[in-house]
Formats: sequence, structure tokens, C-alpha cells
Amino acid sequence: MNKSMLKITAFGIAIIGFYIYITMYVAGLSGTGGGGESAGGVNPEAGEKIFWGDGQCSTCHKIGTSGSATRGPDQDGLIGRAEERAKELGMPSGLDYLVESIVEPEKFIVKGYDKIMPKVFDPPIMLSREKILAVLAYLQTLGGEPDIAAIMKYKDKIPEASKKKVKPWVPPVVVDAKEGEKIFFDETRPITCGKCHIVNGKGKQVGPELTGIGAIQTPEYFLESILTPSAKIVKGYETMYVITTDGIPYNGLIKSETDAELVLLKEESGEIEEVAIPKSDIQEMKKQDVSIMPGNIGELLSVRDFYGIVSFLQSLK
Amino acid sequence: MNKKILLQLTKRSTFIVVFLFFISFVSSISLFQKVFAAEEAPTQTSKEGGGAAPGVELPQFEAGKAQSTAGQPAAATGAGTTTTAIEEEEVGPVQYRTFFGIDSRVVVWIVSELHLMFAAFVLGVPIFAVIVEIVGFKGGDVKYDKMAKEFTKLLSAAFATTASLGGLLGFCLFGLYPEFMGHMTNVFAPTMYIYALMFFGEAFTLYGYYYSWEILKGTAFRKWFHIMLGVMLNLFGTSLMFLTNSWATYMMSPAGIVPTTGKVLSLYHAIYNPLWMPVNLHRLIANVCFGGFIVGAYAAVKFLGAKSEEEKAHYDWMGYVGNFIGVGALIPLPFAGYWLGREVYSSSPVMGNIMMGGAFSWTFIIQAILIGMLFIGANYYLWLGMGRIKGSERYTKFIKYLIFVIFMCFAVWLTPHNLPLSGEERAMIGEQYHPFSKYFGVMAAKNAVVNLIILATFFSFLIYRRSNKGEMAPFSEQGRAGKIGIFSAAIFCLLMLVSYAISLNFVELEANIKVFVKPLISALYIQSFAICLAAFLTFKNKGKLAQGMLFAVTACIAVLYFWYYGFQVMQKANLVLRYLSVTQVSIVMSCLIMNAIIDIFMFRKAKLVGGIVWGKMPVRSQYALILLCVVIVILMGLMGFIRSGLRMDWHIYGVLQDTSQWAYTPTLAYMGRIVGLIVALFLGLVTFVFWLANLGDKKKSEKAEEYEDEVVGYEKQ
Repeated sequence: MNKSMLKITAFGIAIIGFYIYITMYVAGLSGTGGGGESAGGVNPEAGEKIFWGDGQCSTCHKIGTSGSATRGPDQDGLIGRAEERAKELGMPSGLDYLVESIVEPEKFIVKGYDKIMPKVFDPPIMLSREKILAVLAYLQTLGGEPDIAAIMKYKDKIPEASKKKVKPWVPPVVVDAKEGEKIFFDETRPITCGKCHIVNGKGKQVGPELTGIGAIQTPEYFLESILTPSAKIVKGYETMYVITTDGIPYNGLIKSETDAELVLLKEESGEIEEVAIPKSDIQEMKKQDVSIMPGNIGELLSVRDFYGIVSFLQSLK
Repeated sequence: MNKKILLQLTKRSTFIVVFLFFISFVSSISLFQKVFAAEEAPTQTSKEGGGAAPGVELPQFEAGKAQSTAGQPAAATGAGTTTTAIEEEEVGPVQYRTFFGIDSRVVVWIVSELHLMFAAFVLGVPIFAVIVEIVGFKGGDVKYDKMAKEFTKLLSAAFATTASLGGLLGFCLFGLYPEFMGHMTNVFAPTMYIYALMFFGEAFTLYGYYYSWEILKGTAFRKWFHIMLGVMLNLFGTSLMFLTNSWATYMMSPAGIVPTTGKVLSLYHAIYNPLWMPVNLHRLIANVCFGGFIVGAYAAVKFLGAKSEEEKAHYDWMGYVGNFIGVGALIPLPFAGYWLGREVYSSSPVMGNIMMGGAFSWTFIIQAILIGMLFIGANYYLWLGMGRIKGSERYTKFIKYLIFVIFMCFAVWLTPHNLPLSGEERAMIGEQYHPFSKYFGVMAAKNAVVNLIILATFFSFLIYRRSNKGEMAPFSEQGRAGKIGIFSAAIFCLLMLVSYAISLNFVELEANIKVFVKPLISALYIQSFAICLAAFLTFKNKGKLAQGMLFAVTACIAVLYFWYYGFQVMQKANLVLRYLSVTQVSIVMSCLIMNAIIDIFMFRKAKLVGGIVWGKMPVRSQYALILLCVVIVILMGLMGFIRSGLRMDWHIYGVLQDTSQWAYTPTLAYMGRIVGLIVALFLGLVTFVFWLANLGDKKKSEKAEEYEDEVVGYEKQ
């Protein structure tokens, strides 16, 4: 090898070396360390990524103004509330309450919310133990200071990610999720899901947004929610029953509420209409156990179309 | 064994490798299908008793039953007929194997990256080799023809290595990931046969194109026939890439199947999945860029080892062309990348979040460093290149401003949105993000500076281009070609801008969000007016003013205004951000197209101040070319990791989960080491392959020298 070739080789190796150094430096900045697994290490930064990423937490929880999900409680100021609940339940600390809520999500249900939280170490989310600990570290920053040493004491309480395999759900007819998507947004039909639900930025926000819903809900949940929408109503989407002083009744979702006025979204012949009612005209107002979503969707869709929609919803991961 | 025999062996072995690859690939597919069918047969019989495609878990219903179910009310079928159960994994067919005890994933990672890098070179180079050949043929300049042939020589040497690596990758995948490949074969089997046939087509046209170069010289018909061979080579190559892209993108955004069972509903949709076209376009441009920079580095190495001035001049020119091609393709690449990123978001918001806000967001900081290095390196090379052009002194004053702009843009691009802060720092600042730097870390700022870097690089190219040009001929003397050229460019830009502005009127958004689209429409119309004005000024012999005006308007709208407006949109109407980015791209593209065409016709008949002294380049300029080559290879390795890693622990996203022990995303540091190793291996292999390709030339030149010595000796006698 001649001299110029040696110099070129050294130059090339130096660039590659610089690149490796940069990746190591950025890895240090991001808190992922130099091991094998990403988001490695139990720290709030890694936990934040998991919360908003593959942990799917943000599909149901928002944090103050970040995110818009209302299925689960807003996690803003979580630590203060966790400490209060721990005291009420006679638990040693708020961290115990948080760990218990993740390991056994149905054990403590916050008032006003449904039992919808999955076990995040089971399919389809399957978070590793380390990732769950990282999420806990992040949750500690929501109104408190992270204490990694305290978190690590709960290591053995958190199960390892399940190696279970999801047995595929099989619709009783051959359907295509793509077709289901078309039906979902098809406005020429008597019923159009997209008029009330947003998926990936498309549709309208009357009911809960369904982006990413396939990652956290099962096909049975979709079947039930479509055929009997009132069986489980997502928190924040309960129908309000309002009677005015003139005796006119209204059923609908609250779009906005001020001291002077209440704006309701009500369904009229398959269309959603806004009704503004002055607060002074309201005689009575109460939450209903009936969803605004039509209960006769099963009659308006063919079997194929129905399962197409379910298949589409399941594909939203 | 002498070098000649070695060279012949190398050339012949390429055919043997291709043939063996095809035979082994087809036989492995058929063998695998048989094995898989045999394993599945009892299960199928017990479940259905009917025939179905091998390798698929059959749906738990039959066509006849489906018909009868369809007649029942939906509500009645809803509860009883669907099943979802979670069961413990049962012992079944082999899912994973190890590679002699080594981590299978790393083996596949290295082999596939090496294959992809060689393939990128083999697919990218013919595109510009044919263009250079046509330029040489139409312009009657033999040196273009010579260079195109030299490109192709490198190509033929790299082709066999690409094929061998492809074969190795196929075996690794079938051997180490049998379940995954069973699924892929089940969905894509027909396309795999087409792939193998296309490979024949590419091999024949490539070697035909290279070996017939001298034979098909002489008449125009022969030359055109030869060019047609090159075009066919490109068609086969691009088709091959599109086919393999459909497999890779299907893994990210599967379509055309029943996700839960893997049953194929539509092969067309599986191929034409949501990410197919964005990846096709991105890879096509990236391959040209990659090929250009590799060729540039090849020329740099030859330049540094050149023994004569003539040789230096040739390789200096070749390096310049390589860099020109690389930069030319680099400019539209961020736009294609943006489209791909947007489609990733559309096909899976979770994947999109992982990419830009999750585990992979830090990789984009590294990407920014690499792209910054590419732009700075390319500009530096251009500025050094001005030293060999007499008359360039008039423009060197701009360089310091360009350096400032590019480095400032680079700094903004590097600013992370979310720097991890300690509790103490957070308490000091009073919020989660830095109150000042956060404005430079968001997408609006990054989009703005990318566009500014592109505009600055384009400006560098323009001043380089006009360095040796002096007094211009009036536009009226440019003839019909000039008028048609400017007019066509203006019409093209107007069509692009106005049609997009019109389409924005019909986007489906809520009224309170749609109001944020109106400024975008106005911006598009303002740019359209600027394009018309630029064309008008050019016709009035004020081309330089037209270019300056267009640069200013574009920078004001696409950089300054959209930087500010991007923040507004992000806070109040995030959905509009995607339209804003496309508007930004359209405006910048229209400026580049219009200004390039104006420059071509404005300086077409300009007097030359002085010629270009090819070969008079400092050594550091050649190292800039080598830097560009190494960086583009690293970038390709990094982006390959990102694209593939976004699936997280899924082989096929949402359909087939990775349950192996390697189902985790490697850390950045680990990724850096592996990608570094891949880059070193690739560059080492490329150097070896190019050395082999040049053995024949060395022999020829040695023979020619011997012959000259003999003639001189004979004459002396």
C-alpha cells in the first residue's frame, strides 16, 4: 500500500471513529447508555419516551396540555394525588400505589373512569420490566422528584414482559382492513363513523379519538362498543340530559361550557348539530348512562362491512 | 497465475455467481415451501380439511360458512363468532436459529446493509452513466464517453459482489428467521420469481452494456443501440429495487392481508402498501447521491495517486462530476425524506411518534450532523474548486457569508427539542424545556434552516458555475431555445404552485383549523407572481435582478415567514403543519428550477474570462471528496437502522411479532459501533473490488509501455 493510500485509509478510519464517538456522546446525552437495549437504564428521560411511544400510555392519558386523551385520568400532578390515595388506602407511599396500579390495573380504579387499562407487560404492549421502571421514574417527575433508588426496590414486584403469544382474532367473514377504513369514512352511507371519530387526523372530534386504539383494545371491545355503545362510555363522552325552563329536553355531549352558556353536540338523523343553551335557561342537567352513538349500527351495516370496520380499528396500532 | 488470468476469472465468475444465486434462491424458496407445507398439513386438516396456501394459519371459517353467516343479522353474529384468546406459546416449528452461536440479528443487519450499499451503488451509477454517455454523444465530446465507460467499469466489478451478498442475505434470512420468511414467501412468492428473472435481465444488460462499449461505436445507430442497453439496464435495476422495496415496506406498513391471520387478500395491496412509493422515490434519489459521492471518492483516490498532469486533470474532472451528481441528488433528498416521514406518521402514528419523539428521535440529531457534514463538505469542495477557475476572484467575497449561513443553520438543526434536564436545572429554568433553545429545536425551525442550507448550496453552485464567465450576451440573442426554456420553466413552476394552492382550498379540516391554511395559499400565489416577474425581467435582459429577486422572495417566505408561522401552526393547528411543509418545499423547488434555467440561458453565450485548469486542485479538496463518500455511507447505514428499527419488536409491524431474544432496540452507542463496522467493511470491500477492476488497465498500460520501449529500442538499433 503506497503512502497516499495509507493516508486515505487513516482519514476514513478517523471519520468512522468520529461518528462512533458522536453516537456514544449522543447516547450519553439521551440517557440510553452503551448497553444493548434502547431506553436502557431507569431514568425519567427514557420513561418519558416510553410513555409517549411504545408504552402506548398516551393513548389514554394526557399530561396537562400535552396529549388529548381522556380515557384515563390526566397525569398532571400525579405524585401529589398518588400520595393522597396511598394514605387513604393505608399504603406506605405513593410509589406503592403507582406500582400496584400498573401491576394490577383493575385494583384501584379512579372514580369516574372505567376498567380499561391493560397490563402493560402482557400483549400487545409487552413492556419489559426495565421499561416499566423507567416509566415510573418519569411519573415521579410529574409533581415530584425522581428517586431511582426507591424505584429499584420495586424491581421484583414488576413482572417481566410476557412471552405469551396473541392468538389471532379471526373475523367470521373474509374482510380487508383497507375496505373497513373506506366504510369508516364513507359519507354516502346512512352511518359514518368518521363524522364523530378522528383517526390519524381524519374525521371529526365528537366522540373519542381512535388513533392507535388497536394497540390498547381488543376486538371484543370494538364489537361491544359498536353494537352496544352504551355498555361502556369513554370518560368525558357521557351524554348530558338538559331540560330548559321552557321544558325542552336535549340529549348530547358537552362541547364547551362557560358561566353564561352551555354548547351541546346532539345527534339528529345521523347528523351532529350544535345547540347553544344559555345557562340561565337550564332548569335541570344530569349525566346519562346512554351514549350519543347510535345504538342501531348493527342494523345499518352488512356483516362484511361491520367486521371490516372492526378489522380496521384493530389495525390502528 | 498472472493478473490477466485473475481478471478473466473475476469477470467469468460474475456470471457463475449470478447463476448460482438464482438456482439457490429458487430452490430454497421451493424447498422451504415444501417443508412448511409438510409441517402445516396436519393442522390444516384438523382445522379445515381444505386446501390453503402453505405457510398461513388458516382462518377458522370456510367460504360456504361465511356466506351463510352473511345472511344473519350483524348483531347476532357479533358476540358468538369472534374469538380472541391469549394462550401460552406452544412448542411448534423452529422460529429462530443462531448463526454458529452469534447473534442472528447482527448477522442479518451487517449482511443486509452491505448488500444494500453495494446495490445502491449498482443501481445509482447506471442512471448517471447513461446520462453522461448521452451528453458525450450529443456534444461530440469523447471525454464524457470515456468517463461514462469508467463509471460502468466500476459497476460491473461491484455487481458480482452485490449478487453474492444478496445470496448470502437470502440464506441468512431463510436459515435464521424461518417463520418470518415463511410469512414473506407466502405473501410475496410470485414476486420472488419475477425478481430472479429481473436479475437475469439486469446481469445481461449490464455486461452487454459494458462489454459492447467499443463494439457499438462508430455509427449513430450503434451508439443509440448502446444507450438503449443502458436504459434497459436502468429499467431492470429500478424494477428490482421497487420489488425489494415492496418487501421491506410491507414489513413496516403491511397491507393486503388479514392482519390477524396473515391470509393474503390482495398481492397488489401488499406490494403497493402505504410506504412503498415514498421509499421508492427516496431510495432512487439516494442511490444517485450515493453513487455520485462514491465515484467522487474513487476519482479523489486516483487523483492523489496520479503520476501525470493529464491523469490528474482527468480525475479532477471526474471528481467534480461525482460531487456535482452527489450534491444535485442531495438537494431534493430532504423533500423525499419528509414525504416518507409523513407517510410513516400517516400509516402508523405510534411508529411516527417513536421516530420523531420516541426512542429514535436522537438518531435524527446524528443524522443532522452527517447531513450538515455533507453540505459543508460539498460547499467546501466547490469553493476550493473556484481556485482553478480564472475570474472566480469576483465571487470569493460571498464565501464567508455562505460559511456563516451554513454553520448557523447547522447549529439550529443540531439543537435538540428536548434536552434532558436535571431536577435542579428544571427548577432553575422553571419549565421542562429550555426557554430559548426550544424554539430552535422544533420542526418549524429545522424545516426553515434545511431550506436555507439548500438555497445557500444552490447559490454556491451558481457562483461556481459563473466563475469563468464574463460579459453576457443579451437575452434577445439567445434565440428561440432561450425563450422556450424560460417560458417552460415558468409554466412548470406555476402549475406546481397554483395547482397545490387550489388543492389546499379543498382540504377537509374543521373551519377553525382551516383558517390556518389561507396564509399558505397566499404564499403560493405570491411565489407564483415572483416566478412570472422573474421570467419577465429575464426577457428584459435583467436576469441577475430576476434571480436576486426570486432568491429574496423565496428566503422571506420559505425561511423567515414559515419559521415564524410554523410555530403558530404547531401551537394552534398542528394538522396544518403537513400542508405548510409541502408549501415550503414547493416554493423552494420553484426557486431552484427557475433560477437554474435563468442561469443556463443567461450565461449561455457569455464571454469566458478564463478557462478551468483541471488538475489544479489542492490535496485537501480530494479529502473533502473522500469525506463526502465516507459520510454518505455512514448516513445510509444510520438511516437503514432507523427505517428497520422503527418496527421495534415486530418483524412485520402489527402482524408478526419478534419473540426472539434480540427483540429489543439497540442503544445508539451499540448502533454506532455496528454501523461503523459495516461502513469499514463496505469501504474495504469497495476498495478491493475497484482494485480488481483496475488490474486489467494496469496490465494494458504496462504492455503499452513495454511495447513503446520495444519500439524505441528497435528504432535505436
